Amino acid sequence: MATISTALRHFKEPTKEQLTEIFFSLPPSKAPTAGEEKSDGVTEPEKMEISAVLSVAEADEDSYPGKLYIMPPFLAFTSLDRKSVRLTIPLSTIRRVERLNARAGIYALSLLTWHGMKLVVQLTSLRPTADLFCSVLREALKVELQKGQMKQVKVFVKTCYSEVLVSDTPNAGADNEREDGSLVESSEQISYLGGLGLHFKFPGDPKKLRETSKIKMWTKYLKTHGRNITLLRYPQYTRLVQVGLPNRLRGEMWEVLSGSIYHRFAHPGYYQQLLEDNKGRTTTSTEDIEKDLHRSLPEYAGYQSEQGISSLRNVLQAYSFKNPELGYCQAMNILAAAILIYMSEEQAFWLLEVLCDRLLPGYYAPSMHGTMLDQRVFESLVQRTLPIIHEHFTNVDVQLSVASLPWFLSLYINSMPMVFAFRIVDCFFCMGPKVLFQVGLAILKINGEKLLQIQDDGGFLNLMRDYFASLGESAHPNSDDPRARAITNFQELLLVSFREFSGITDETIQGERRRYRSEIIHSIESFAKRSAVRNLKSFGRFSKEQVGYVYDALYKAMCLVPPPPDAVPPPTLFTTGEGNEPKPETRIELRTFRQFLSEIATWARDEKIVMNGFQQRIDREVADHEFIDRLFFFWDTSCRGALSFQACLIRTTDLVFGLDGIMFNDLMENIEWFFNLHDKNKDGYLTKDEVLTLSESLLFIFRFEVGDAYLGAVSRFMSNAFEYGDALLPRPETKEGEEPGSPPPVESNQPYLNLATFRMVVLADEVLESFFETDLSGSFKLVPLPEMELPISSSGLLGDLWSSIATDTNKKMFNMFTDEIGKTIGKHQVIHRPSIGRYTKMDEPKARESLLTPSMRKSTSKSSLKSTTAPTSPTTVSHPILEVNIPSATSSNKNLPGVPESASLSAMPMLKAAQHAAMMERTPFAIDNAEDDDESDDEDLSDLEDDDQVLDEVDAFLEAHDSGLSEADKQLANDLLKAEPVK
Amino acid sequence: MAESGSGSADKSVQVKLVLLGEAAVGKSSVVLRFVNNEFQPNKEPTIGAAFLTQKCRLDDRVLRYEIWDTAGQERFHSLAPMYYRNAQAAVVVYDVTKASSLEKAKSWVKELQRQANPNIVIALAGNKVDLVQASSSSSGAGGSSESEDEADDATATPGEAPASPSEDNLRQVPREEAQAYAQEAGLLFFETSAKTGEGISEIFTEIAKKIPIEHILASSRGNSGRPGLAGNRAEGSQAQNLNLDQGAAKPKDACNC
Repeated sequence: MATISTALRHFKEPTKEQLTEIFFSLPPSKAPTAGEEKSDGVTEPEKMEISAVLSVAEADEDSYPGKLYIMPPFLAFTSLDRKSVRLTIPLSTIRRVERLNARAGIYALSLLTWHGMKLVVQLTSLRPTADLFCSVLREALKVELQKGQMKQVKVFVKTCYSEVLVSDTPNAGADNEREDGSLVESSEQISYLGGLGLHFKFPGDPKKLRETSKIKMWTKYLKTHGRNITLLRYPQYTRLVQVGLPNRLRGEMWEVLSGSIYHRFAHPGYYQQLLEDNKGRTTTSTEDIEKDLHRSLPEYAGYQSEQGISSLRNVLQAYSFKNPELGYCQAMNILAAAILIYMSEEQAFWLLEVLCDRLLPGYYAPSMHGTMLDQRVFESLVQRTLPIIHEHFTNVDVQLSVASLPWFLSLYINSMPMVFAFRIVDCFFCMGPKVLFQVGLAILKINGEKLLQIQDDGGFLNLMRDYFASLGESAHPNSDDPRARAITNFQELLLVSFREFSGITDETIQGERRRYRSEIIHSIESFAKRSAVRNLKSFGRFSKEQVGYVYDALYKAMCLVPPPPDAVPPPTLFTTGEGNEPKPETRIELRTFRQFLSEIATWARDEKIVMNGFQQRIDREVADHEFIDRLFFFWDTSCRGALSFQACLIRTTDLVFGLDGIMFNDLMENIEWFFNLHDKNKDGYLTKDEVLTLSESLLFIFRFEVGDAYLGAVSRFMSNAFEYGDALLPRPETKEGEEPGSPPPVESNQPYLNLATFRMVVLADEVLESFFETDLSGSFKLVPLPEMELPISSSGLLGDLWSSIATDTNKKMFNMFTDEIGKTIGKHQVIHRPSIGRYTKMDEPKARESLLTPSMRKSTSKSSLKSTTAPTSPTTVSHPILEVNIPSATSSNKNLPGVPESASLSAMPMLKAAQHAAMMERTPFAIDNAEDDDESDDEDLSDLEDDDQVLDEVDAFLEAHDSGLSEADKQLANDLLKAEPVK
Repeated sequence: MAESGSGSADKSVQVKLVLLGEAAVGKSSVVLRFVNNEFQPNKEPTIGAAFLTQKCRLDDRVLRYEIWDTAGQERFHSLAPMYYRNAQAAVVVYDVTKASSLEKAKSWVKELQRQANPNIVIALAGNKVDLVQASSSSSGAGGSSESEDEADDATATPGEAPASPSEDNLRQVPREEAQAYAQEAGLLFFETSAKTGEGISEIFTEIAKKIPIEHILASSRGNSGRPGLAGNRAEGSQAQNLNLDQGAAKPKDACNC
């Protein structure tokens, strides 16, 4: 809870292409989410799909129409129903491709694979398309040949058990002279990879499981339909999987079904290297793993031995090194332990990768959002398919997840006896994640009557426990029919799962996930926020609500400017200390801090009010100035280059305390704070350079203020400071430093101005005094941020459409577009919004009150919103892009009415004042030139030529939409219009 | 409160109790000690939460504890509300040899006090005192200071025996400090050892005394189906009742309504 993660925000719906990849269990081609190290991505290999009819030569089986895909380095096929037939083979396993001489009008290819399976594909598309396909295929094959992948195949297939099954001679003969890959154990009999089961027996009674006959059937199937990386899934295949895979073949089949075999094929030696590279490393994950090693299927003999434990450790650790962000989550130990019974460490590692990454997305992530999402989806499916049970659960307040959470997290392995769980896992790998839901629903349905009796969570769990314990028993013990009696509860469960819940498809699951994703993300985020706030050692002088706002600002900043991953050092750095080190927690670095500050402090952002006749919006940019950096390092007393929400030990480093130290100060404290901020060596004196820097900081804060009151104040400050400073120097060798650009001749690092003098100088000036008295503290504003948009909005077609339109880029485009139009019709103008906004008139520094009462501000800003939306809506109501934009304009305005104590004026009246400010561009200062390098400034100035006309229009708007401005305000506005420019 | 005469002896009161605390402080061991009166080294891992029941007699009343033993790993934290909602009691466990575990415990207490059932009775338990008692009986105990208690069983791996500092300064949380905190926060406080059994049953007895039983009875009276169902499901081996009534205990429950 100490870490704030914004990862959930980055979720993107898979593209159509990615969905196809997922369907064929391919390794992700592009790896946008890190993880996969990308080899030379010279030119994107061409992909293509084409309609085709596939049949197996020399086999007396049906042909299936479907689609053939080239997705280098793979060739894939699926039948039209996407169920009966499926094929995924690496191109490198294709030995020969021939165009078949056939009757006219038929375009057919024969493909010969490594294992001698001959596939005939008849391309049913038009001739040119078929020709194109062939040339794409030829190119792709050529590339594979050049990569030398073909040679890998020979070594690789020897690691697969299926080869042993199929070869009639018990694995000897001519193949012996080939050099064995390093992966292969050098025993004569066992050259294939296998799991702990080979040594410690597989769970279950082989007789009861009818291993021998299963093996026989599989051997037959594998002989004619390819095997391991060239396996073709024909209808018979799914049936064979559903009756349970034979133990010895299970590991390899899981690999093939899940597609993890392609990862292993593509990365030979990777696993060993990973372990090697991280040898002896300890992390939080490895510590957590250590704790669970002995509680992972402890009943299995293999895990009562060092061999099993060490395999388990290796696999879990390797995965945590590969994916440090996920690391290790309890329940992964169960999965790893289970699959290690059937496969080697290397195989298990890649399978775990596919499980965590693709099959169970987000299940084991630090936020466990995938788990929570799927629990929500499951609940919704229960509600839909088993409404009576759902209603009963609601009535007696029983929570489904108390039982179903471990089902999903551990693929039922932790809930059912292993023999049964593994059969569900077989189906899971074969048919996908929907199986988990189907089985879950079937469990509830079968126990429906009893479930209606339960009254609480405990009863629910006990009922489930009893049911799982009885899976091996007859489902109909009292039946007269012996065949019915022979049906076990487990068989019944599978039957109900796949018969009655066949309507639950992958699309169902995808759709439901889409539907609930934002709800889940929202609840996780607000939970994280609550606990982060709750766990603060102290709120300082803030209210809980205000701390919440600080959190929101920090969170938003992290979303916009995510801290680079290496800014978050590996958790080990934090946790290994003797309990003194703070726990891993959220830290941000300078760039994120700037963003954060811009949310909170008015002067830490550049706000431009843009009007172009269509809309009025506020463009906000993060300001960049040494002052902000100074503040960062000032708060970062531990010099880690990072700030946290609240550090456990060093209280001054944290944002809450840092803000606390400035937002509640009175005049004297603020002066001292500002002084200390600029006193680098903390000796109680500012050097002459530091005085200059301090002045620059002031100018930075005042950079968008209207009029020259502040400029005057700063320049008075400087002259006074140097005057007093020089007077107090032991050997007064003076040179007036009024020109801020010219460096003083006095030794630059000599102590020069102490706090008392500084205070005196500040207090001598009314403007500065009032700045330090209230405005500095007031410039930090903790207000509710507008809800951030989630990456995806509601489900369905409309939602998709909406989210594809309402992207930031589109908004920007639209803004630019309207700006352009605004420019051509001469209505475009840009005004900087002042940070403090105390003085709206040029030469009236004495006016100490804000010119509008809060209630007026509210009403005027509302009216300003109205007036911005009004012109766009009549003409463009039906145009979606325009609609997108309106909320964006309003949302940035939204926080204004919420600021009761706000010293800044709200939109409308300020506009006018600010327009003048822009026109009257104050005399440029060398110091802040660096800040004002926005070219737009100059451009916009030229656009202001006929601003009188625009102002008239604004007035017209105000009148037409009865803005609720009082007479006094109108008067003020008029006065402003007539105000003289500064000389 | 009006019901006290109505043959309560055969009527068990169901109390939902949740265990919370940092990973590896020995939550599961505490429960096992209480439920089975054993220190079982290798136990089923806790995914989300393990669920156990145990009956406990207090005077003429039988309390039936439904114990939810939650997973300690940080990332399961967000699932915890699922388990502590509607709980009448909570035991927050920390490890006396690990200062940070008390901090975590405090944050759990805070969360419970804000988010859970307002009448929840919370007990703070400092576990593994066997490791810090000067005359500690078992010298092997040091081996379990880092890994969970179950490490010192037959299958413990060699790699798991950590170099243990001398037993005297293993303690990182002084009893007084934790006690003062517990008092301030209004918690029951115990130091326990799941390994030796010290202090374990006291936790549950004291909680039983403090639970507003009448309140629970009143609210659950509507659920007629429960006792029958619940009765059948005593978990095989743990059917035997622990008599936790220490005799001296005068029921204070009445005043806690």
